[in-house]
Amino acid sequence: MTGLAVVGQGRENRSYFGDRLIRSLEYLRFKARSHNAAFACETVSRVVSEQYKYRLYKDLFPKEWKRSTTSLYRAGHFKAYSERTNEFFQLVNDKCFPLLEYWHDDPDLELDRFAIPPMNFDLCCEEVDYSGLRVSYLAGLMFYFVEDDEIWTFFSEKYGIEKKTLPAIKASPHARVWREEQNAETKPYSDLIRLVDHSTGNPWLDVNHCQYPEFFEWNKETIDWLTETYKSANQSFRNLENLDDRIEEDAQKFLFELISFWNTGKTGL
Amino acid sequence: MRGDDLPVKLLRAEDERVNPAIILAEGLMQRDAERLLTVEEVSEAETVLAIGTQEIETVEFHRKAFLKTPASAIDYVPLGF
Repeated sequence: MTGLAVVGQGRENRSYFGDRLIRSLEYLRFKARSHNAAFACETVSRVVSEQYKYRLYKDLFPKEWKRSTTSLYRAGHFKAYSERTNEFFQLVNDKCFPLLEYWHDDPDLELDRFAIPPMNFDLCCEEVDYSGLRVSYLAGLMFYFVEDDEIWTFFSEKYGIEKKTLPAIKASPHARVWREEQNAETKPYSDLIRLVDHSTGNPWLDVNHCQYPEFFEWNKETIDWLTETYKSANQSFRNLENLDDRIEEDAQKFLFELISFWNTGKTGL
Repeated sequence: MRGDDLPVKLLRAEDERVNPAIILAEGLMQRDAERLLTVEEVSEAETVLAIGTQEIETVEFHRKAFLKTPASAIDYVPLGF
Protein backbone atom coordinates (compact mmCIF):
# COMPACT_ATOMS: atom_id res chain seq x y z
CA MET A 1 0.00 0.00 0.00
CA THR A 2 1.34 3.43 -0.92
CA GLY A 3 2.08 5.45 2.17
CA LEU A 4 2.58 9.13 2.84
CA ALA A 5 4.43 9.83 6.06
CA VAL A 6 2.99 12.81 7.89
CA VAL A 7 4.85 14.13 10.90
CA GLY A 8 2.78 15.80 13.55
CA GLN A 9 2.77 16.40 17.30
CA GLY A 10 6.16 14.84 17.83
CA ARG A 11 5.35 11.53 16.24
CA GLU A 12 5.04 10.01 12.83
CA ASN A 13 1.58 9.37 11.43
CA ARG A 14 1.13 7.37 8.29
CA SER A 15 -1.70 8.64 6.17
CA TYR A 16 -2.02 5.86 3.64
CA PHE A 17 -3.42 6.35 0.20
CA GLY A 18 -6.09 3.76 0.98
CA ASP A 19 -7.16 5.68 4.05
CA ARG A 20 -7.36 8.96 2.16
CA LEU A 21 -9.36 7.27 -0.57
CA ILE A 22 -11.81 5.80 1.94
CA ARG A 23 -12.15 9.19 3.62
CA SER A 24 -12.80 10.88 0.25
CA LEU A 25 -15.40 8.29 -0.73
CA GLU A 26 -17.06 8.67 2.64
CA TYR A 27 -17.16 12.45 2.11
CA LEU A 28 -18.62 12.10 -1.41
CA ARG A 29 -21.25 9.70 -0.10
CA PHE A 30 -22.10 12.29 2.52
CA LYS A 31 -22.15 15.19 0.02
CA ALA A 32 -24.58 13.34 -2.20
CA ARG A 33 -27.10 13.44 0.64
CA SER A 34 -25.82 16.31 2.71
CA HIS A 35 -28.92 18.47 2.20
CA ASN A 36 -31.05 15.87 3.90
CA ALA A 37 -31.42 17.03 7.51
CA ALA A 38 -32.20 13.54 8.84
CA PHE A 39 -29.06 12.16 7.22
CA ALA A 40 -27.05 15.10 8.58
CA CYS A 41 -28.29 14.37 12.12
CA GLU A 42 -27.36 10.72 11.67
CA THR A 43 -23.89 11.74 10.47
CA VAL A 44 -23.32 14.11 13.40
CA SER A 45 -24.49 11.46 15.83
CA ARG A 46 -22.23 8.80 14.30
CA VAL A 47 -19.15 11.03 14.14
CA VAL A 48 -19.60 12.24 17.74
CA SER A 49 -20.11 8.68 18.95
CA GLU A 50 -16.95 7.48 17.16
CA GLN A 51 -14.99 10.48 18.44
CA TYR A 52 -16.20 9.74 21.93
CA LYS A 53 -14.76 6.24 21.67
CA TYR A 54 -11.45 7.60 20.35
CA ARG A 55 -11.29 9.92 23.35
CA LEU A 56 -11.94 7.00 25.67
CA TYR A 57 -9.29 4.93 23.88
CA LYS A 58 -6.76 7.75 24.30
CA ASP A 59 -7.65 8.22 28.00
CA LEU A 60 -7.71 4.54 28.93
CA PHE A 61 -4.83 3.28 26.78
CA PRO A 62 -2.60 6.27 25.98
CA LYS A 63 0.45 4.19 25.00
CA GLU A 64 -1.53 1.99 22.64
CA TRP A 65 -3.25 5.03 21.12
CA LYS A 66 0.11 6.69 20.51
CA ARG A 67 1.62 3.75 18.68
CA SER A 68 -1.56 2.66 16.89
CA THR A 69 -1.45 2.65 13.09
CA THR A 70 -4.96 1.29 12.50
CA SER A 71 -7.24 3.28 10.25
CA LEU A 72 -9.62 5.90 11.57
CA TYR A 73 -11.72 5.59 8.40
CA ARG A 74 -11.67 1.99 7.20
CA ALA A 75 -14.35 -0.24 8.72
CA GLY A 76 -13.11 -2.99 11.03
CA HIS A 77 -14.53 -6.33 12.12
CA PHE A 78 -17.60 -4.62 13.57
CA LYS A 79 -18.58 -2.94 10.33
CA ALA A 80 -20.27 0.06 11.91
CA TYR A 81 -16.94 1.14 13.40
CA SER A 82 -13.47 2.04 12.18
CA GLU A 83 -10.48 -0.23 12.62
CA ARG A 84 -9.30 2.08 15.41
CA THR A 85 -12.56 1.72 17.33
CA ASN A 86 -12.41 -2.04 16.80
CA GLU A 87 -8.92 -1.98 18.24
CA PHE A 88 -10.33 -0.16 21.25
CA PHE A 89 -13.01 -2.84 21.71
CA GLN A 90 -10.30 -5.50 21.53
CA LEU A 91 -8.17 -3.69 24.14
CA VAL A 92 -11.11 -3.44 26.51
CA ASN A 93 -11.69 -7.14 25.97
CA ASP A 94 -8.02 -8.06 26.54
CA LYS A 95 -7.16 -5.72 29.40
CA CYS A 96 -10.41 -4.90 31.22
CA PHE A 97 -13.20 -7.46 30.91
CA PRO A 98 -14.74 -9.90 28.42
CA LEU A 99 -16.58 -7.75 25.89
CA LEU A 100 -16.32 -9.57 22.58
CA GLU A 101 -17.93 -12.83 23.46
CA TYR A 102 -21.36 -14.15 24.26
CA TRP A 103 -23.79 -11.63 22.68
CA HIS A 104 -21.18 -9.66 20.79
CA ASP A 105 -20.05 -11.96 18.03
CA ASP A 106 -22.01 -10.52 15.10
CA PRO A 107 -19.93 -8.17 12.87
CA ASP A 108 -23.10 -6.28 11.91
CA LEU A 109 -23.82 -5.45 15.53
CA GLU A 110 -23.88 -1.87 16.80
CA LEU A 111 -21.91 -1.60 20.01
CA ASP A 112 -22.91 1.86 21.14
CA ARG A 113 -24.22 0.15 24.24
CA PHE A 114 -23.06 -3.25 25.36
CA ALA A 115 -24.12 -6.09 27.64
CA ILE A 116 -21.89 -8.27 29.79
CA PRO A 117 -21.96 -12.06 29.98
CA PRO A 118 -23.17 -13.58 33.26
CA MET A 119 -20.41 -15.37 35.18
CA ASN A 120 -22.56 -16.96 37.82
CA PHE A 121 -24.57 -20.16 37.76
CA ASP A 122 -28.19 -19.74 36.64
CA LEU A 123 -30.66 -20.96 39.23
CA CYS A 124 -33.80 -20.30 37.24
CA CYS A 125 -33.72 -22.54 34.21
CA GLU A 126 -30.26 -24.03 33.82
CA GLU A 127 -30.13 -27.77 34.31
CA VAL A 128 -27.97 -28.40 37.34
CA ASP A 129 -24.79 -30.29 36.57
CA TYR A 130 -23.42 -30.90 40.06
CA SER A 131 -20.23 -32.51 38.85
CA GLY A 132 -19.06 -29.25 37.25
CA LEU A 133 -19.54 -27.17 40.39
CA ARG A 134 -17.22 -26.44 43.28
CA VAL A 135 -18.16 -28.34 46.42
CA SER A 136 -18.66 -25.12 48.39
CA TYR A 137 -20.98 -23.71 45.70
CA LEU A 138 -22.91 -26.97 45.83
CA ALA A 139 -23.21 -26.54 49.61
CA GLY A 140 -24.71 -23.08 48.98
CA LEU A 141 -27.19 -24.56 46.51
CA MET A 142 -28.68 -26.73 49.29
CA PHE A 143 -30.78 -23.73 50.37
CA TYR A 144 -32.29 -23.31 46.93
CA PHE A 145 -32.81 -26.99 46.04
CA VAL A 146 -34.07 -28.14 49.43
CA GLU A 147 -36.15 -30.94 47.96
CA ASP A 148 -33.37 -32.13 45.71
CA ASP A 149 -31.80 -35.24 47.26
CA GLU A 150 -29.05 -35.33 44.68
CA ILE A 151 -26.98 -32.75 46.60
CA TRP A 152 -27.36 -34.74 49.84
CA THR A 153 -26.46 -37.94 48.03
CA PHE A 154 -23.29 -36.25 46.82
CA PHE A 155 -22.29 -35.16 50.35
CA SER A 156 -23.25 -38.53 51.76
CA GLU A 157 -21.20 -40.48 49.22
CA LYS A 158 -18.19 -38.19 49.22
CA TYR A 159 -18.01 -37.16 52.90
CA GLY A 160 -20.28 -39.64 54.67
CA ILE A 161 -22.63 -36.89 55.89
CA GLU A 162 -26.28 -37.64 56.59
CA LYS A 163 -28.96 -34.97 56.26
CA LYS A 164 -30.56 -35.96 59.60
CA THR A 165 -27.33 -35.18 61.52
CA LEU A 166 -27.58 -31.50 60.52
CA PRO A 167 -30.11 -28.81 61.51
CA ALA A 168 -33.23 -28.62 59.33
CA ILE A 169 -32.96 -25.84 56.74
CA LYS A 170 -35.45 -23.01 57.26
CA ALA A 171 -37.47 -21.85 54.29
CA SER A 172 -35.89 -18.39 54.29
CA PRO A 173 -32.58 -17.08 55.62
CA HIS A 174 -32.18 -15.05 58.80
CA ALA A 175 -32.06 -11.28 58.21
CA ARG A 176 -28.47 -11.17 59.56
CA VAL A 177 -27.32 -13.20 56.55
CA TRP A 178 -27.71 -10.08 54.36
CA ARG A 179 -25.94 -7.66 56.68
CA GLU A 180 -22.98 -5.87 55.13
CA GLU A 181 -20.97 -6.08 58.34
CA GLN A 182 -19.90 -9.64 59.09
CA ASN A 183 -17.12 -10.92 61.30
CA ALA A 184 -14.24 -13.09 60.10
CA GLU A 185 -16.19 -16.22 61.01
CA THR A 186 -19.48 -15.38 59.28
CA LYS A 187 -18.21 -13.43 56.25
CA PRO A 188 -17.24 -16.48 54.14
CA TYR A 189 -20.73 -17.95 54.68
CA SER A 190 -22.44 -14.65 53.93
CA ASP A 191 -20.36 -14.23 50.76
CA LEU A 192 -21.18 -17.77 49.66
CA ILE A 193 -24.92 -17.33 50.17
CA ARG A 194 -24.87 -13.93 48.43
CA LEU A 195 -23.00 -15.50 45.51
CA VAL A 196 -25.42 -18.40 45.13
CA ASP A 197 -28.38 -16.05 45.62
CA HIS A 198 -27.09 -13.62 42.95
CA SER A 199 -27.21 -10.84 45.54
CA THR A 200 -23.62 -9.66 45.58
CA GLY A 201 -24.16 -6.21 44.06
CA ASN A 202 -21.64 -7.22 41.42
CA PRO A 203 -23.15 -7.11 37.90
CA TRP A 204 -20.99 -10.02 36.66
CA LEU A 205 -22.36 -12.25 39.41
CA ASP A 206 -25.93 -11.02 39.73
CA VAL A 207 -27.15 -11.03 36.12
CA ASN A 208 -28.29 -14.26 34.54
CA HIS A 209 -29.22 -15.54 31.10
CA CYS A 210 -32.94 -15.46 31.80
CA GLN A 211 -33.31 -11.75 32.31
CA TYR A 212 -33.26 -8.98 29.74
CA PRO A 213 -29.62 -7.85 29.66
CA GLU A 214 -28.60 -4.57 31.20
CA PHE A 215 -26.90 -2.34 28.67
CA PHE A 216 -23.92 -0.18 29.55
CA GLU A 217 -22.77 3.09 28.03
CA TRP A 218 -19.26 3.85 26.87
CA ASN A 219 -17.74 6.14 29.49
CA LYS A 220 -14.68 5.97 31.70
CA GLU A 221 -16.60 5.50 34.95
CA THR A 222 -18.50 2.52 33.56
CA ILE A 223 -15.38 0.91 32.07
CA ASP A 224 -13.45 1.40 35.32
CA TRP A 225 -16.34 0.05 37.38
CA LEU A 226 -16.85 -3.01 35.18
CA THR A 227 -13.10 -3.68 35.23
CA GLU A 228 -12.99 -3.58 39.03
CA THR A 229 -16.14 -5.63 39.49
CA TYR A 230 -14.85 -8.20 36.98
CA LYS A 231 -11.67 -8.61 39.07
CA SER A 232 -13.79 -8.83 42.19
CA ALA A 233 -16.06 -11.47 40.60
CA ASN A 234 -13.04 -13.61 39.77
CA GLN A 235 -11.83 -13.16 43.35
CA SER A 236 -15.20 -14.41 44.62
CA PHE A 237 -14.71 -17.64 42.70
CA ARG A 238 -11.11 -17.94 43.95
CA ASN A 239 -12.43 -17.54 47.50
CA LEU A 240 -14.45 -20.69 46.97
CA GLU A 241 -11.16 -22.60 46.82
CA ASN A 242 -10.61 -21.76 50.52
CA LEU A 243 -14.11 -22.96 51.34
CA ASP A 244 -13.50 -26.17 49.38
CA ASP A 245 -10.36 -26.75 51.48
CA ARG A 246 -12.38 -26.28 54.67
CA ILE A 247 -14.94 -28.80 53.46
CA GLU A 248 -12.17 -31.27 52.72
CA GLU A 249 -10.85 -30.77 56.27
CA ASP A 250 -14.19 -31.17 58.06
CA ALA A 251 -17.31 -31.26 55.87
CA GLN A 252 -19.66 -31.98 58.80
CA LYS A 253 -18.49 -28.86 60.70
CA PHE A 254 -18.65 -26.69 57.58
CA LEU A 255 -22.19 -27.71 56.68
CA PHE A 256 -23.33 -27.39 60.28
CA GLU A 257 -21.99 -23.83 60.52
CA LEU A 258 -23.34 -22.88 57.10
CA ILE A 259 -26.86 -24.13 57.88
CA SER A 260 -26.78 -22.52 61.33
CA PHE A 261 -25.77 -19.23 59.75
CA TRP A 262 -28.64 -19.49 57.24
CA ASN A 263 -31.12 -20.30 60.03
CA THR A 264 -29.94 -17.94 62.78
CA GLY A 265 -27.36 -15.53 61.38
CA LYS A 266 -24.77 -17.15 63.66
CA THR A 267 -22.42 -20.04 63.01
CA GLY A 268 -23.23 -21.84 66.31
CA LEU A 269 -26.56 -22.97 67.68
CA MET B 1 -58.92 33.14 3.71
CA ARG B 2 -57.44 36.61 4.16
CA GLY B 3 -54.55 37.58 1.95
CA ASP B 4 -52.14 37.64 4.93
CA ASP B 5 -53.09 34.05 5.86
CA LEU B 6 -52.17 32.56 2.50
CA PRO B 7 -49.71 29.70 3.07
CA VAL B 8 -47.26 31.08 0.56
CA LYS B 9 -47.22 34.45 2.35
CA LEU B 10 -46.77 32.78 5.72
CA LEU B 11 -43.86 30.79 4.34
CA ARG B 12 -42.27 33.85 2.79
CA ALA B 13 -42.57 35.71 6.07
CA GLU B 14 -40.53 33.09 7.90
CA ASP B 15 -36.77 33.37 8.37
CA GLU B 16 -34.95 31.12 5.99
CA ARG B 17 -32.16 28.99 7.44
CA VAL B 18 -30.49 25.67 6.91
CA ASN B 19 -30.92 22.95 9.52
CA PRO B 20 -27.83 23.48 11.75
CA ALA B 21 -27.10 19.73 11.70
CA ILE B 22 -26.40 19.99 7.96
CA ILE B 23 -23.78 22.70 8.53
CA LEU B 24 -22.19 20.85 11.45
CA ALA B 25 -22.14 17.53 9.57
CA GLU B 26 -20.29 19.24 6.72
CA GLY B 27 -17.67 20.56 9.16
CA LEU B 28 -17.26 17.21 10.88
CA MET B 29 -16.87 15.34 7.61
CA GLN B 30 -14.07 17.67 6.53
CA ARG B 31 -12.29 17.37 9.84
CA ASP B 32 -9.34 15.06 10.42
CA ALA B 33 -10.63 12.23 12.64
CA GLU B 34 -7.35 12.09 14.54
CA ARG B 35 -7.93 15.63 15.82
CA LEU B 36 -10.30 14.65 18.60
CA LEU B 37 -13.30 16.77 19.48
CA THR B 38 -13.00 18.74 22.71
CA VAL B 39 -15.60 18.50 25.47
CA GLU B 40 -16.99 21.87 24.34
CA GLU B 41 -17.23 20.72 20.74
CA VAL B 42 -19.05 17.54 21.74
CA SER B 43 -21.41 19.59 23.89
CA GLU B 44 -22.05 21.98 20.99
CA ALA B 45 -22.64 19.04 18.65
CA GLU B 46 -25.18 17.58 21.06
CA THR B 47 -27.01 20.92 21.23
CA VAL B 48 -27.06 21.18 17.43
CA LEU B 49 -28.25 17.61 17.21
CA ALA B 50 -31.14 18.38 19.56
CA ILE B 51 -32.11 21.48 17.54
CA GLY B 52 -31.75 19.60 14.24
CA THR B 53 -33.87 16.71 15.43
CA GLN B 54 -36.50 19.11 16.77
CA GLU B 55 -36.68 20.83 13.39
CA ILE B 56 -37.11 17.52 11.59
CA GLU B 57 -39.92 16.57 13.98
CA THR B 58 -41.63 19.94 13.46
CA VAL B 59 -41.45 19.63 9.68
CA GLU B 60 -42.73 16.07 9.86
CA PHE B 61 -45.61 17.17 12.11
CA HIS B 62 -46.66 19.87 9.66
CA ARG B 63 -46.23 17.56 6.67
CA LYS B 64 -48.61 15.06 8.27
CA ALA B 65 -51.09 17.84 9.09
CA PHE B 66 -50.85 19.11 5.51
CA LEU B 67 -51.53 15.65 4.08
CA LYS B 68 -54.62 15.35 6.26
CA THR B 69 -55.98 18.68 5.02
CA PRO B 70 -58.92 18.09 2.64
CA ALA B 71 -58.60 19.48 -0.85
CA SER B 72 -60.76 22.50 -1.66
CA ALA B 73 -61.58 24.14 -4.95
CA ILE B 74 -60.19 27.61 -5.61
CA ASP B 75 -62.40 30.39 -6.94
CA TYR B 76 -59.97 31.61 -9.58
CA VAL B 77 -57.99 30.14 -12.43
CA PRO B 78 -54.25 30.07 -11.63
CA LEU B 79 -51.96 31.84 -14.04
CA GLY B 80 -51.01 29.55 -16.95
CA PHE B 81 -54.22 27.51 -16.98
